[in-house]
Amino acid sequence: MLRYIIRRLLWVVLVLVVIVAITYSIFFLLPGGGSDAIANRFAGKQPNPEIVAEVKQQFGLDKPIYVQFYIFTRNLFLGDQYGWPGLGKSFVLRAPLKQVLVERMWVTIQLAVGAAVVWLLVGIPIGILSALRPRSIWDRAAMTFALIGISMPVFFIGPLALYVFVYKWHILPGSGYSPIGEDGLWQWFNHFILPWCVLALLYAAFYARLSRANLLDVMGEDYMRTARAKGLNERQVIVKHGLRSSLTPLVTVFGLDLAGLLAGAVITETVFNLPGLGQYAVRSVFSLDLYAILDVTIIAAFFVTLANLVVDIVYAFLDPRVRYT
Amino acid sequence: MRGGTIREESPEFGWTDAFDPTGEYLGTAWGMMDQLLIRGLMTYKHVDAAQGGDTPVPDIASAPPTVSADGLTYDFTLKDNVMWSPPLSRAVTADDFLYAFQRINDKKLVAQYGNYYCGVIKGMDCAAKDDNQPISGIKVTDPTHISFTLDQPTGDLLYRLSMPATKAVPVEVRGCFPNPGDYGVDLISSGPYMILGQDKLNLSSCSTIKPISGYNVDKGMTMVRNPNWSAATDDTRAAYADGVQIKINSNVDDSFNALENGDLDVVQGTPPVAVLQDFETNPDFAGWLHADQGDRTWYVTMNLLAPPFDDIHVRNAVNLALDKAGIRKAYGGDLRGTLATSVEPPTVLPQSTQINPFSANTGSGNATAAMDEMKMSRYDTNHNGVCDDGPVCQNILFLGRSTDPWPNMNQVAVASLKPILPGLDLKEVDTSTGYTTLQQVKKLIPISMVPGWGKDYASPYGFDFFIFDSAGIACTAAVNYSLVGMTEAQATECGVKPEYDAYVQNNGPMPSVDDKMKECVAKPADQVDACFAELDTYLMTVAVPWAPWLWATQFTSTNLKTVVSYQFDQNAGIISYVNTSVNNGLTPQNVA
Repeated sequence: MLRYIIRRLLWVVLVLVVIVAITYSIFFLLPGGGSDAIANRFAGKQPNPEIVAEVKQQFGLDKPIYVQFYIFTRNLFLGDQYGWPGLGKSFVLRAPLKQVLVERMWVTIQLAVGAAVVWLLVGIPIGILSALRPRSIWDRAAMTFALIGISMPVFFIGPLALYVFVYKWHILPGSGYSPIGEDGLWQWFNHFILPWCVLALLYAAFYARLSRANLLDVMGEDYMRTARAKGLNERQVIVKHGLRSSLTPLVTVFGLDLAGLLAGAVITETVFNLPGLGQYAVRSVFSLDLYAILDVTIIAAFFVTLANLVVDIVYAFLDPRVRYT
Repeated sequence: MRGGTIREESPEFGWTDAFDPTGEYLGTAWGMMDQLLIRGLMTYKHVDAAQGGDTPVPDIASAPPTVSADGLTYDFTLKDNVMWSPPLSRAVTADDFLYAFQRINDKKLVAQYGNYYCGVIKGMDCAAKDDNQPISGIKVTDPTHISFTLDQPTGDLLYRLSMPATKAVPVEVRGCFPNPGDYGVDLISSGPYMILGQDKLNLSSCSTIKPISGYNVDKGMTMVRNPNWSAATDDTRAAYADGVQIKINSNVDDSFNALENGDLDVVQGTPPVAVLQDFETNPDFAGWLHADQGDRTWYVTMNLLAPPFDDIHVRNAVNLALDKAGIRKAYGGDLRGTLATSVEPPTVLPQSTQINPFSANTGSGNATAAMDEMKMSRYDTNHNGVCDDGPVCQNILFLGRSTDPWPNMNQVAVASLKPILPGLDLKEVDTSTGYTTLQQVKKLIPISMVPGWGKDYASPYGFDFFIFDSAGIACTAAVNYSLVGMTEAQATECGVKPEYDAYVQNNGPMPSVDDKMKECVAKPADQVDACFAELDTYLMTVAVPWAPWLWATQFTSTNLKTVVSYQFDQNAGIISYVNTSVNNGLTPQNVA
């Protein structure tokens, strides 16, 4: 197992390097990109060659692209003047990116984890209830909920929720982030509850459908009949034998979903004005803030590859048939 | 009415140089700095155009300067009782102004409009090795006297001395901010407000200066009264409110909801379509939307080196055919601005409304007049008023913006030009790509409705220079998209020499306003406008690089329940924070 984990971690490093290379290529090779375009963006209205050259030099864009790539990658793994990992300096903020990204990542983590808790608490019980009472009124109601949830994108339900709960009914404060350390637990919770619920709705619906389908499959398995034949009561049959098998596939999906969100829930963060990674990524792309874009991409890739690894390891514990060497 | 706090939200600050006055090039930042935070030798009244908002007036200067007979020396006397905010709490002196210019001259700080001073003030070349180099053309004789000696007469110097890079910077921070943008988080105030927490700065050494707590580029900025500011020293800033808070909100709809709900006082910029309709039609919101002249022109640019636009008759025909009124309607209607007849908005050049060589086009396009003009073009081989000269007239790229509402506007524009140019081929790209594409000279984009243009300062040179002078042609970063005045050397450098030669062979020398620009800017202040009116007439009749279609307005939405009096700052192109009053009774601290 240890060898497997080490091997996978090395893969994570390789994936990150490849992703940096691809992102670099996109910004330097596609139309509208390149050192000149980036430097021009920060050299004023009349970017004469001297000013552009000065900006390029200050941003490290004056070197050949492969040297820039090498320096960035080296700094990423070995650290730069702002510490480890070396994430560089924002062209727009004129400030080291590490602190900016850590602050924003913390907001995104709170959003993603909170939403995950909501969708697990809502989606899985609904799915189980549906599976245990197939074709009942509960089942149909649950699947209607799932259909609605899957069909309503965040950019629609988010503004609607804000309008209703904040501006019509005045039961929640407006959008924005309220740090727990500054404004207290209640304000923090009040600001997050709407984005959590809105973001969780889609996933809860999806998880409800998935868990229902899995449990229905499992309930027809031979070993379930055997468990009942051995005299176990229905509760034990479902909890000990049914749920464990039926929920195992959810682990894979959950890991990847959570990792995807940790990379930034772009629309949710924008709609609810949460200063997280997703919102920052969008802003950085529009302002050609190259290192910020690279860093957010790397963070996203890191979370996804790491989640894959964790999922694979957890799987080995959950499913005795899976073993890694 | 005094008191209250002006509460505003914005999707982002969008600074170009992190709010450092030396390099910052964003108009909104200029307005915030000039109105609220930093004072200079000259400023503006921070009122709308009708009240003289585009005319520079003395600020820390006690009076307009004494100008030598040859127009080369400007002597200023400073008020002696204008104070820096805490913790500095001393009078602003002439040395603080000298230091601001030393920062502009520091190569590493990349002053983004340093060209208005370097090559103008003797001894300034924007290439100094640091911010401690002497400038031979600036003399400080005592704390209240400073004089500028110029390389050549510059009639609009007072406008240039109103710009934020020239505002006083305390000499105490010399050497503390050696990189572009660094000073933006520690901006020390001489204006009526200061950033919340600024009084806690420790200026005892560079290393003790930490970012001011009331400003976070991701969250917003809160400004409170500067206790050292005295209304007796300031004729242009009423400073009614106790504070100004600008919060960042990425959700524009949410901001307008908050405005309607009374949680905000101001939102600047174009409202979402539904809100705009509501503001225009719902009597509950009558007076909430303000459309002020924005000192900005929208135009169709034509490339003089790209056939068929290398023929002036084609460019004239475009001006005659363009359905400006239709484009404006697709843009949002009459509130969006006045149909343009020449390049400069009348707020910058009052004579502009008299310059109208294409008066046959009364707004909706005149296809008949356009076709008559086209008949004179060499690209209309059978003289029927339609461009028909083989490949030149086919697949002519018309570059437009892809974001709403521009696709509809593009369609209107292209449809109005099709009778004379049936081969137009509309391609839409995002705004950023549009600009970067146009900026590359070698691409020779024939015609485009992507760009708009606004003034740097409210004298015509501050509008015309970059966009029409050959200095605005850099091979990969041109802003003179039509290439007016391109030199042979530039054509060679940018790889368009064959096209340049073809132009000269067919039309004679490339039209240029370089010399006229120099002539105009060297005129005494009272003759500058008349000279630029001649220059603009030349542009509209001889060079014809543009088909201008709108002198655009700037939208500001205010909650009339809390905003007692609204004022627009014409020069800044934003709300006049210092001359607008609110009655929300909030203090900046309890809003924050």
